[in-house]
Amino acid sequence: MATLDRRDFLKASLLAGAAASLAPGPVAAAAAGGAPGIVDTNVNLFQWPFRRLKYADTPALVAKLRRHRVVEAWAGSFEALLQKDMTGVNARLARECREHGGGLLRPFGSVNLAWPDWEEDVRRCHEEFRMPGLRIYPGYQPFDLAHPDFKRLLAVTRERGLVLQIAFGMEDPRVHHPTLQLVPVTVGPLLPALQAEPQARVQLLHFVGRPLAADLRQLSDQTSARFDFSRWEGNGAVGKFTGVAPDAKGSPAVPVDRVLFGSHAPFFPIETAILRLMESPFDAAQLAAMMQGNARQLLGRA
Amino acid sequence: MNPREFHFNPADYGVPTREEFVSYRIWDSHFHGFYGSGDPVAQFRANAFYVERMGVERSVSLEIGGTLSDPITPAKHDAAVRTILEEQKDRLSGITPIDPGFPDESCAKMEQWIRNGPCIGIKYVGGNKRGIVCSHPNNDPIIRLAAELEATIYIHTWLKIGGTPRLPGRDNNPGESTPMDVVALAKRFPRVRFICGHSGGDWELGVRAVREQKNVLLEFAGSDPHSGSVDLAVKELGVDRIVWGGHGPSRSYATEYGKVLDADLSRADRMKIFGGNFRQLAAGIFRRKGLKLEL
Repeated sequence: MATLDRRDFLKASLLAGAAASLAPGPVAAAAAGGAPGIVDTNVNLFQWPFRRLKYADTPALVAKLRRHRVVEAWAGSFEALLQKDMTGVNARLARECREHGGGLLRPFGSVNLAWPDWEEDVRRCHEEFRMPGLRIYPGYQPFDLAHPDFKRLLAVTRERGLVLQIAFGMEDPRVHHPTLQLVPVTVGPLLPALQAEPQARVQLLHFVGRPLAADLRQLSDQTSARFDFSRWEGNGAVGKFTGVAPDAKGSPAVPVDRVLFGSHAPFFPIETAILRLMESPFDAAQLAAMMQGNARQLLGRA
Repeated sequence: MNPREFHFNPADYGVPTREEFVSYRIWDSHFHGFYGSGDPVAQFRANAFYVERMGVERSVSLEIGGTLSDPITPAKHDAAVRTILEEQKDRLSGITPIDPGFPDESCAKMEQWIRNGPCIGIKYVGGNKRGIVCSHPNNDPIIRLAAELEATIYIHTWLKIGGTPRLPGRDNNPGESTPMDVVALAKRFPRVRFICGHSGGDWELGVRAVREQKNVLLEFAGSDPHSGSVDLAVKELGVDRIVWGGHGPSRSYATEYGKVLDADLSRADRMKIFGGNFRQLAAGIFRRKGLKLEL
């Protein structure tokens, strides 16, 4: 078995053009122990509003992530979905990452465009809580991407050098709690908004898409958006999306260098995300890029 | 491409290697190998890469004879599929879909594909033309015949949110059964075992619905991988009532393996869910058909 060890990883990172973004820190430290660590770009902390999750407690989640060689996780907050006091939400997230993150968690605060004075929340996330990025949850947060302030949010995050993560849903709507009726979120307004802000650093989380779907291809071809693969479903899906799978059809929907590891933990098992990489015949360079090189590159630019 | 070639060691990342998956003796009781709308046989052959790569011992295809959308009408690829079933009987089994809106035709199809054919069980699909769910009296002759043949019985169930007021199950398709329908049917046939498919879609409610009906087993395939789902099912139903399905190629082995790996289970219990329980369920018909089976 040709495995991805530290030497292979560094070589692969160089090949992927990602080595320059490998800053000293937890990623490199874990790599020194053997196989390279993973940067999980899609984790949320605290309580899912509708069910007690198995790894809802941060220390338990961090321990679980460590068991699967995750060395850095970009953490949003389930509290951001439905709460109004975003300063409180973001302060608790920052404190939780600092006190219980074990050096592994990076807080991604949130703003709610439907609430007044959201730009002050951006400032606080950046200047007071020292967060590297923001995560928004359109739909759960009562706005869609046609909201008139969305373009302003893109501009503000670009000006501040923040990564902006946009979460496309959290749960299959067929099993929503009956009282939950979310604002429908369509991808249509996203393309022109991103084209108008080409320097914005945007990652789409839990974006469904299909390998042959026009919206995904347009976003991939015509913007610089990155994607996590937490919602790419089907046998060999990540390989099919990136053109690596033996049964991939047509040109790749998304190049490997735009794909970041994202588990959607603790809602989804972290195991599922790792197995998505196992299913497809990726080579060492591609694995290194998706496991951490691409994430470090996105954040390194931020 | 060699499906057994990997460029990273899964064990380094806390998940089983291919060899470990093979050792679990995984039987995929929910395989949509021939579900493609274009060329189902081509789809089956393409998906074989993932079957091999992820260490599946046996796949049980749920669409043998006809199609899921029209189970009673023969499909043009039936003969080709039948040939594949015979050629690959050491690693592929078939289940034939039926339609309770047409009980006589369904029983005739069972005679053709199970008693006189290669299949080992029946599937209730996710809706039908006449809107007949599995609790309807139409199903009694179908189940009596299935019991006589010792056929496995898989019932697609969901509890889709909808209606006014919004409640689980009110957005189901006509003829799409709920776990409560399975329980109603299972009460009439207490000596027959049923698989409640997809865990009702909403596993938290599905588990509650079937937990008191001991002759109903639960299968989780075809829904998102929610952490904690298998833990709850094992706690409420016991590990012997859980069977595993992959639902590929539209769902991934990654998704469906992840549900089980997430749960706090011994290796022995994991093996029961991954295949042992389904082998127990299918032992009778394997024996009748003279098929080799190591439990």
